[in-house]
Amino acid sequence: MKKLLDHGILIAGVLFLLTPLYLLFVSSTHEVDTLIRDGLQWLPGSQGLAAYEKALNQSLGFSGEATGWRMLFNSLVMGLGFAIGKIIVSMAAAYAIVYFRLPLASFFFWAIFTTLLLPLEVRIIPSYAVVSDLGLLNSYTGLILPLIASATATFYFRQFYKTVPDELLEAALLDNTGPVRFFIDILVPLSRTMMAAIFIIMFVVGWNQYLWPLIMTTEESYTTIVMGLKNILSTVRDSHIPPYDVAFAMIILAMLPPVLVVIIFQKWFVKGLVESEK
Amino acid sequence: MTAQKQKLPHGITPYLFILPQLVIIAVFFFWPAAQAVHMSFMLEDPWGLASQFVGFENYALLFSDSSYGRSFIFTLVFSFLVSLISLALALLLAVKANSVLRAQKSYRVLLTWVYAVAPAVAGLGAYFIFNRQIGVLSQAFNDMGWAFNPETDPFDASFMLILVAVWKQVPVNFIFFLAGLQSIPKSLQEAAQIDCQSDSKRFFTITFPLLAPTSFFLLVINLTYAFFETFGLIDTLTQGRPAGATTTLVYKVYQDGFLGADLGSSSAQSVILMILVLVLTAIQFRFIERRVHY
Amino acid sequence: MFKKLATSAAVLFAANTALAEVEIQFWHAMGGALGETVNEIAGQFNNAQSDYKLVPVFKGSYEETMTAGISAFRAGEAPHIIQIFDAGAATIINAPGAARSVEDVMASAGLDFDRTDYISGVRSFYADADGKMIGMPFNSSTPVLYYNKAHLNAAGVQPPATWEEFEAIANSLKDNGHIALAQSHTPWIFFENFHSRHNLQLADAQNGFDGLPTEIMYNNDALAMHLGKVKAWKDAGYYGYFGQSWDDNQDAFVKEEVSMWLGSSGSFGGLKQSADFDFGTTFLPYWESVNENAGNTFIGGAALFAMSGHSSEEEAGIATFFDFLTQPETQYFWHRETGYVPVTNAAYELAKTEGYYAENPDAEVGVQQLSLPGGEWSKGYRLGFYVQTREVIYREMDKLMAGDTTPERALSEIEKAANQNLARFARTVQ
Repeated sequence: MKKLLDHGILIAGVLFLLTPLYLLFVSSTHEVDTLIRDGLQWLPGSQGLAAYEKALNQSLGFSGEATGWRMLFNSLVMGLGFAIGKIIVSMAAAYAIVYFRLPLASFFFWAIFTTLLLPLEVRIIPSYAVVSDLGLLNSYTGLILPLIASATATFYFRQFYKTVPDELLEAALLDNTGPVRFFIDILVPLSRTMMAAIFIIMFVVGWNQYLWPLIMTTEESYTTIVMGLKNILSTVRDSHIPPYDVAFAMIILAMLPPVLVVIIFQKWFVKGLVESEK
Repeated sequence: MTAQKQKLPHGITPYLFILPQLVIIAVFFFWPAAQAVHMSFMLEDPWGLASQFVGFENYALLFSDSSYGRSFIFTLVFSFLVSLISLALALLLAVKANSVLRAQKSYRVLLTWVYAVAPAVAGLGAYFIFNRQIGVLSQAFNDMGWAFNPETDPFDASFMLILVAVWKQVPVNFIFFLAGLQSIPKSLQEAAQIDCQSDSKRFFTITFPLLAPTSFFLLVINLTYAFFETFGLIDTLTQGRPAGATTTLVYKVYQDGFLGADLGSSSAQSVILMILVLVLTAIQFRFIERRVHY
Repeated sequence: MFKKLATSAAVLFAANTALAEVEIQFWHAMGGALGETVNEIAGQFNNAQSDYKLVPVFKGSYEETMTAGISAFRAGEAPHIIQIFDAGAATIINAPGAARSVEDVMASAGLDFDRTDYISGVRSFYADADGKMIGMPFNSSTPVLYYNKAHLNAAGVQPPATWEEFEAIANSLKDNGHIALAQSHTPWIFFENFHSRHNLQLADAQNGFDGLPTEIMYNNDALAMHLGKVKAWKDAGYYGYFGQSWDDNQDAFVKEEVSMWLGSSGSFGGLKQSADFDFGTTFLPYWESVNENAGNTFIGGAALFAMSGHSSEEEAGIATFFDFLTQPETQYFWHRETGYVPVTNAAYELAKTEGYYAENPDAEVGVQQLSLPGGEWSKGYRLGFYVQTREVIYREMDKLMAGDTTPERALSEIEKAANQNLARFARTVQ
């Protein structure tokens, strides 16, 4: 009886979380006319994945460059570039903070951790000016670097390094292993699970960027899929026959890759978090 | 900090390791942030052609503006409710997911999916689901006798926004709680099993205290989520409407400074946010330091 | 002849000239079907000549487009042409050095420009105190009344010319189960154009054309009366309020929940496709009690501005595009596709001679309303930080409709905020 209740609660939770996604997906397989006339649909329609083909191949802008494929590619670059860049930069910084006695350690520490929670949205105009001064407008570097200026990952790696047994360092010192070697040969392999967890978190953050790329890029070839959604929303609002099917397909396409990353790396994700919790 | 670890000889190496991070935050964080602070004391034309020093005028204006006060209160209430509800739901699900034996893995996967959905994407999806013309939820609420109208009713709009924000946040909390639960040693759990027969009693006397650090950490994460990351959600779902009732502080910075081209005022708002965030960071930092030592 | 030669030369040397083309960035706020029409015009322009390549970029809403332009200008990366909407006119026109006057741009490129070519209602909104045109009117529209013919016939009533007439017929529509009226843009229709239609001043310094205004005049008896009436209509079931969103209010008309809708003359093209019923168009109603000789309205929509800081070669490209854009054929195409009014007399004449209005009499209502004889207060307005003031108007309207405030309180709140915005803005412009 109690088991049944537990399962009931869990199933209710699953339904709460997944029904909206199901509804949008199923509706995307219907004809636009059906959606306009009868609203969202609960059962699959006759159009199959036709809306996805349209969303992927049709271009939103003037140049013909901003197709769904292109936008997915740009988002992928954002997600990967951000996640990898962040992991490298923050692993190194956390290493320096945890393993060395730096004269200015606490200053560095605070400098880094002040950035922890302040989002780009509230300093966006000066950030834009900086990126433009550096000549980085309309470039992947300009899109990614300012986002790396937040210390979340440094924080996680710092926590993790502190849980690494001291004996490893003692042994390394006895062996005369240099600090660079120690980092690459011992610490990096040891951090694999943690890296995977951070990778997932950061990939999702990078992929999901909204306002920053919207302001930063003027060339359609840099449109990301989340930016494209803003475009499709105004198309839906301004069109006589709103292309709901394509809009729904875009929503599903925009969430699919990060969802897949989370599902595929699920095991490492939870494990990484458990380890950082210790 | 754990002193034993800081043993490696310091030469130039640690500086090389920390340099990339420092350069990036100096250029892309401190420099723009300093400019924001500077601009908050200036009155400047939008195009940057002329500016003058006005002291604390931009701040004074905000504190005399009733809509800023309302937005402040909304942000606090919204953040509190979103954090509380999503934490409670996630904790319930995590405890159940940890205790059931069958299909545990499937539940875990299904309940974490939504984590990956962008706030802007969630907002857009919700826009369609709550849409007057094609949505199903507005219709359902109306059938239930609730004249649900988020376009004109501040309560309905806030309800909708909170619901979607919670929906988006439950998975993150779920993952952390599950991780927290699984790190409770098996021996302790078995002992608890014998000591306390009642489920709820066992939860409140044993499990919950052990999860308290996680919960507190999550509370801070959740508050910052509700403060900042809901921007994309609000922009696609309510745009702060109706009557400015769903305008959070971050959305107001965007509305005044960004859309309204009043840089002085929006910079002052940014600085106030920075201070709020610093307080939050300090709390989190203190807490985490304590946790490491216990 | 020259054009023809140029075109054939372009075809011959397409491969070479492609490299030599000067790129002209054009940032706009036209999403959806409107954006497609902009892209089409850009394509036509690019095909018609080979010196310049126009690149239109959709930058989001009007507000987002303006801010994107501002950020870019500050960073020295301004686009060549930017579309700025009516509420942002003060922001760009009062900034010396942000934009170059369209008249100057045309003159330095050696292209003809005569402001009297433009229809009178359009000419003055984006001009300076001397009538010199700073912005090039682009998508111009004005608020008009759309009505559902079947609904009005069933109730046995005529579309109202005045609000008094509206009050007389609203109940018969309600008896048939319809809400009589909805409206899609409170600041534009019920505030700004309420003043132009009734020839009421809305700010000092000649509505802001004659210097920097410091005082908004919205807090007047006529407007308080009107807002009080609207609220009373809502309570009586004659007026449907579906929030701030343009579309939600328009949809209520399209779905035949409401019988009449105040929207933009530019909505015509869209309504023709989305409404399954026969609808008619007429002038924006006015209060006979306020002004029995109600006159023309302001244009709404947006204008194109040539941003400064570009080479003379690029400026020539801007001028060439402006010239192309104001060709009667281009204007007629734009008018037909979108429903926005043609901005030049020549284009208006072309639409007439082509028999467009004989087939679509409704499409002419906007131009006719703009061409009504007007008083001294129907030229337009130029108000600083007006985007924020509009936000406050929207907010107070929400509250008024929800019964959380009175017309008097709402107007005094709006006055306070607007004056604060005006004073602040005036200080930024030194």
